[in-house]
Amino acid sequence: MKEYKMEPLNTFNYDRPVIEKGYANQTLCIDISDFVISVKPVTEKMKNVFIGGKGFDLWLLWNAVNNTTKWNDPENAICIASGPMGGTPVYPGSGKSIVTTISPLTGSVIDSNVGGYFGPYLKFSGFDALEVTGKSLKDVVIFIDGIDEKVQIFKASGLPDDSYTLSATLTEHFAKGKPRNISVVSTGPGAKNTRMGCLNFTWYDLKRKRARYKQAGRGGIGGVFADKGIKAIVARWNTVTTKTNNPADANTLKDVGRKHSREVVELDPKQNQMAQIGTTHLVPIMNDFDLLPTHNFQYGQHSEADNIGQEVFRRIFDPGYDGCWMGCTLACSHGVKDFVPLTGPYKGLKVFVDGPEYETIAGCGSNLGIFDPHTIIEMNFYCDTYGLDTISVGTSTAFAMECFEMGLINESHTHGMNLLFGNRSAALEVVHQMARGEGFGQIIGRGVRQMKVIFSRDYGADPDLMQDIGMEAKGLEFSEYMTKESLAQQGGYGLALKGPQHDEAWLIFLDMVHNFMPTFEKKAEALHWFPMFRTWFGLCGLCKLPWNDVVPEDNKDTLEPAKVMKHVEWYADYYTAVTGRQTTADGLIRMSEAVYNFQRIFNLKMGFGQREHDNIPYRAVGPVKTVEYESRTERYDKQLVEKHNVDITGKTTEEKIVLLREFREKLYEKLKDAVYKRRGWTNNGIPTKETVKRLGIDFPEVLELLRAHGVET
Amino acid sequence: MIKVNGEKHSWYQGMTIKDLLNNFNKSHLYAVVRINDKHISMPYFEKTLIPDNSEVFLIPMIAGG
Ligand code: SF4
Repeated sequence: MKEYKMEPLNTFNYDRPVIEKGYANQTLCIDISDFVISVKPVTEKMKNVFIGGKGFDLWLLWNAVNNTTKWNDPENAICIASGPMGGTPVYPGSGKSIVTTISPLTGSVIDSNVGGYFGPYLKFSGFDALEVTGKSLKDVVIFIDGIDEKVQIFKASGLPDDSYTLSATLTEHFAKGKPRNISVVSTGPGAKNTRMGCLNFTWYDLKRKRARYKQAGRGGIGGVFADKGIKAIVARWNTVTTKTNNPADANTLKDVGRKHSREVVELDPKQNQMAQIGTTHLVPIMNDFDLLPTHNFQYGQHSEADNIGQEVFRRIFDPGYDGCWMGCTLACSHGVKDFVPLTGPYKGLKVFVDGPEYETIAGCGSNLGIFDPHTIIEMNFYCDTYGLDTISVGTSTAFAMECFEMGLINESHTHGMNLLFGNRSAALEVVHQMARGEGFGQIIGRGVRQMKVIFSRDYGADPDLMQDIGMEAKGLEFSEYMTKESLAQQGGYGLALKGPQHDEAWLIFLDMVHNFMPTFEKKAEALHWFPMFRTWFGLCGLCKLPWNDVVPEDNKDTLEPAKVMKHVEWYADYYTAVTGRQTTADGLIRMSEAVYNFQRIFNLKMGFGQREHDNIPYRAVGPVKTVEYESRTERYDKQLVEKHNVDITGKTTEEKIVLLREFREKLYEKLKDAVYKRRGWTNNGIPTKETVKRLGIDFPEVLELLRAHGVET
Repeated sequence: MIKVNGEKHSWYQGMTIKDLLNNFNKSHLYAVVRINDKHISMPYFEKTLIPDNSEVFLIPMIAGG
């Protein structure tokens, strides 16, 4: 390895506060333009309204930026926080961090939820959240050392560029013989050269003796990190026990934590087996229900899907404990050992690959017409080490491939690359080009929204057609589920605050398979409750998987099986046991509502956050092309006749597409009306005065924004 | 004889997943069933035969990503 140098630019010594009921009660602020390090207090008001995690991030970011701030302006902040329960080893899934910033893809707030040890180590080192602003001309490494009570900024030179080797190097550098005490946040060259850069957060795998990583993938956060000149942020902390959070009621915490842990251990082997196969079970299931995106979301099924499903990955994953936080009994973060890439800088070398998960398999596999696990694993490896989001890479490449197949672009635009669906070497080459900032890969790396502009402006491609098939909304690429047959999930994507990511609401099965929400009111209720409850995990430092990916055996006999209320009640007990603040299941929803509405208003501040911004491309709603319609003629014909009372006799496919589109687009608009009403928003999708008052977010700046957008205050 | 969610359950030649689910209440809530390590989804319940001595797991809910 090349020799590297790290010279200290500033050292900040501090007295580490005692953690009280899950809070350090201060945040760390670093302006890397002039290497200034400072500490801000966390007020009771912050805790009451914003809870922690994403809530704290949003508040810090709101105060850092103004309404004209762009992603690459120095005042844009990268905020990272865990939450009051973050770092609890006794409760499954309690080590998450949330990262927020102004996104290069959307121009508004992005948030991304990630595992690894960083968030808890940051808090135990004395800081509920980290806020980094400014820009450095030199590459810097930030080191937060909770053991020796100092924060340091180093000027770094000669360090590896890619995250895989960089994480390992910095883990060893700072470990003082105890690598488990270290967590590294870094990105790679892809983040510098595209708009879809991710961050890698490490956790140390004691058995395999290596730094592993999880990704804060969405929205190009890695690009902001790289643009600021940050090479890495490293946290160092010591042993973690249930006491480290100094919970208000340790006995109740242990009790409820053990109950949930035990249930996961007992039931996961009988249910989804995530401790063995992660989320790969979703591949064949989605395929069976016509929900696995293939060929840029044209179809939901493919005869070769089993080649990239759980039966294959069960054999490929390296067996062993794979918890991205200590004590997580669901332990779903699997990896592939001794993988040998066929291309790129690691060609022929043995590497460890973290993943793939369902999203990567669908994004970099089926959606590109690729059904070969080796290619998917190689794309997974290079996306991570180059610091690229596998979802945006997959969805953007799928769009480019469809444009190529349709002749909207050709080899003169792709620099001779044959971008037909299924071309594995081309897909890998795109990723390498993204990392190098070269060729057509560099264009794909700008994301679907920018590609639509470039293809139409420079290559004469039809903008309306691209609007229909380009799978982005709010500027963010869709994650990997088909939504054509689930109106509720169209809302789950289209009404999501940051753009079409499924972490707010995944309602496809409840809506399409179980028919739990047949009316608009029921869909609206689901599009209120689920996003609110899922938001709550991000406020507290938690992973949502143990909530509903393992389900109590008697759950189906409860009133609302989709909500898994037994677990929701455990979470309320868990919150109270750590923070000492009494709450109930309804109380959790109320906590999220304040932060959720605040984020909607933040979008408004940045020039978005209104009805028109919740539009989605027609590909997400129904069939765009005749081949799509004709691949499922029976289904669509039946709907026209039975649901919409259309006489289809003698009608061409093109005519039927137009009719179906009219109906479906109207339904989507009707859904918006119902959801806005349920959420306490105006018909233009803006929270009302009553809503912000009820939630305690009626700050003067908020009211002023509402007034400026015609909302009566 | 087969096992369903760890409990012994009678079996007969030609038994499909649909047949098995008829023995359980609220069986419409099961959209996926696992036979040993293989997931079978609702569209295939009617035509999938359960082999003797299988371990069958009724997957309660698919929760997605
Ligand atoms: S369930 Fe999986 S992703 Fe969630 S904390 Fe556990 S290992 Fe990490």
